[in-house]
Amino acid sequence: MNTKSPNIKIALIHLLSKKRQTIVAMLGVTFGIAMFIFQAGLMSGFQTVFIDQTINTTANIRIYNEPDNNRKSILASNGKKENEWIVVRNQKVKDEQTKIKNGYQIIKQLEKHPDIAGISPFLGSQTIFRLGIAQTSGRVSGVNIEKENLLFNLAENTVEGNILSLQNTPNGIILGIGLAELLGAKLGDNINVISPKGVELLLKVVGIHRSGIVEVDKVRAFVNLRSAQQLLQVDGSYITDINIKLRDINKAVPLSKELAFKYGYTAQNWIDANSNIFGVFKIQNMVTALVIGSILIVSGFGIFNILMMIIYEKMQDIAILKAIGYRDKDIRTIFLTESLIIGFFGGIIGLLLGFALQEIVGSIKMNIKGFVAMEHMQFNQSPYFYAFAFVFGMIVTAVAGYIPARKASKIDPVDIIRSK
Amino acid sequence: MEAILETKQLSKFFYDPVEFQALKKIDLVVPKGQFAAIMGSSGSGKSTLLYVLSTLDTQYEGHLYLEGEDLSLKTKDELAAIRNEKIGFVFQFHYLLPEFTVLENVMLPALKLAKLDQKQIEANAMEKLRMLGLEDQALKKANKLSGGQQQRAAIARALINNPKIIFGDEPTGNLDSKNADTVFDILKELKENFNQTILVVTHDTSFANKTDRIIRLHDGEVVN
Repeated sequence: MNTKSPNIKIALIHLLSKKRQTIVAMLGVTFGIAMFIFQAGLMSGFQTVFIDQTINTTANIRIYNEPDNNRKSILASNGKKENEWIVVRNQKVKDEQTKIKNGYQIIKQLEKHPDIAGISPFLGSQTIFRLGIAQTSGRVSGVNIEKENLLFNLAENTVEGNILSLQNTPNGIILGIGLAELLGAKLGDNINVISPKGVELLLKVVGIHRSGIVEVDKVRAFVNLRSAQQLLQVDGSYITDINIKLRDINKAVPLSKELAFKYGYTAQNWIDANSNIFGVFKIQNMVTALVIGSILIVSGFGIFNILMMIIYEKMQDIAILKAIGYRDKDIRTIFLTESLIIGFFGGIIGLLLGFALQEIVGSIKMNIKGFVAMEHMQFNQSPYFYAFAFVFGMIVTAVAGYIPARKASKIDPVDIIRSK
Repeated sequence: MEAILETKQLSKFFYDPVEFQALKKIDLVVPKGQFAAIMGSSGSGKSTLLYVLSTLDTQYEGHLYLEGEDLSLKTKDELAAIRNEKIGFVFQFHYLLPEFTVLENVMLPALKLAKLDQKQIEANAMEKLRMLGLEDQALKKANKLSGGQQQRAAIARALINNPKIIFGDEPTGNLDSKNADTVFDILKELKENFNQTILVVTHDTSFANKTDRIIRLHDGEVVN
């Protein structure tokens, strides 16, 4: 032991002579920090999976034509003078096509844009799917499968068949796994697809696909653009959406504004498209932080109590140490050191326990099929969480230790020695 | 003779529960090498005086000098350093830290002073223990010793930094007569062999009569 630090030695001996109390205090910190890591990793892991899967099904930027249903009357917007009233009753929404004019030219232009990694035309329609007597409603996405695959990695999530073979099968269709189950459809089956315009096509299942988001897989099917155009009885240049994948998704916000301005259509970036989910995450994270924070504060109270007990037991030690020349500061150091030792070792064990819990729970096969489908719990084991948990734990123990330590340093030795 | 301890017009008031003057303008000189006893009936203020003189109690009026240095103006931390270096304590109870060995207890004030390294401090502590006949108890836990041994260990602790003065508060009050005699003899030897200044509060007349000087206290005043 270092000559210069009898304080630390005294602290250590206090802790070692009260092993059970010390261990209980450490366990408080250990569980606090383990829960912190477990919870934060779980929440963040879940959110990461969800974001990955969601973003994989939303374009980084989607350009579409949003019909303006709240247009002012032409009469009202032109030549209206003061003190003049123009009233148009029973005005109807104009039968405006949601088509993107010159869609293919826009695509051609944007393909040369340095920030854009991939771009895919899209035409969607509500439809009814029928196989024998089984029928269900859903949506077809008319796409160029090769380009679409570039954006959303569809091939990677193939359950059955070959998704890219849609390219060579003009009357092909790719079903979401949920949709295939609803219809009882298998690879090679022919399915009737009926559009709101009353057009009926017979399409052959060439692939089954799983996006991971259960609600999407129940309603979505991919067909060739041409098939979708037939279903909607429109010409071969008719597309409603242009989906864009960026090299860097963080550029989505400025670029979406630029594109909206340039082409005069709505350009929605992935952050706005999923804003409701991010909102839920925000609340989720707040709740998690509150729960974890309270656990750590409770363990802080544990340390506080145990240190107070040690101080009451060691009143005479404190008095004599002060009599033989230990300053208030030394006494404070002794008890603060005790709480920091508890915090440090409790924290280290907590980090290991948290890691072990994540590994164990993460290795259990769960096959969760809720909002998203995953086989295992996913944990975010970012070192940031470990560092933050540890630092926060140390701060709590320092505060919980400081108050009793200060109290100990204020003990008047005369009171103790005389009262004997 | 050189004065080790001196007071000028030292007064002390208690305010709780009612205002009460415990010490009344005490002028006192303790010269170097004197073995003095403070006597007085219960409530005469003798313990109060001792705690003021030993700098543990700082709520007083007047002046207190140790080796000519005015202590009434010092901060708490400065006083702690002075106690550490220049003052030794022997109380009625030993106040050894129970989880530490006897040797470690004796070393504690010297470790705080930190003028010597660990090895030298340990050697000094062993020497003090040998002087007090405790060398074979050095590595035992303090709470494993008998009452007389514990009090001797406390004396060794008081001596470790070679203090200018040793204060005793009923140092034999909790001991049987044999151990009390041993403790007295030790103090006497310290005075005789090392010219150690010692000031002891006691109500034991036979103990007091064997010292160099009796300071009698009555109602907060020195009466001689």
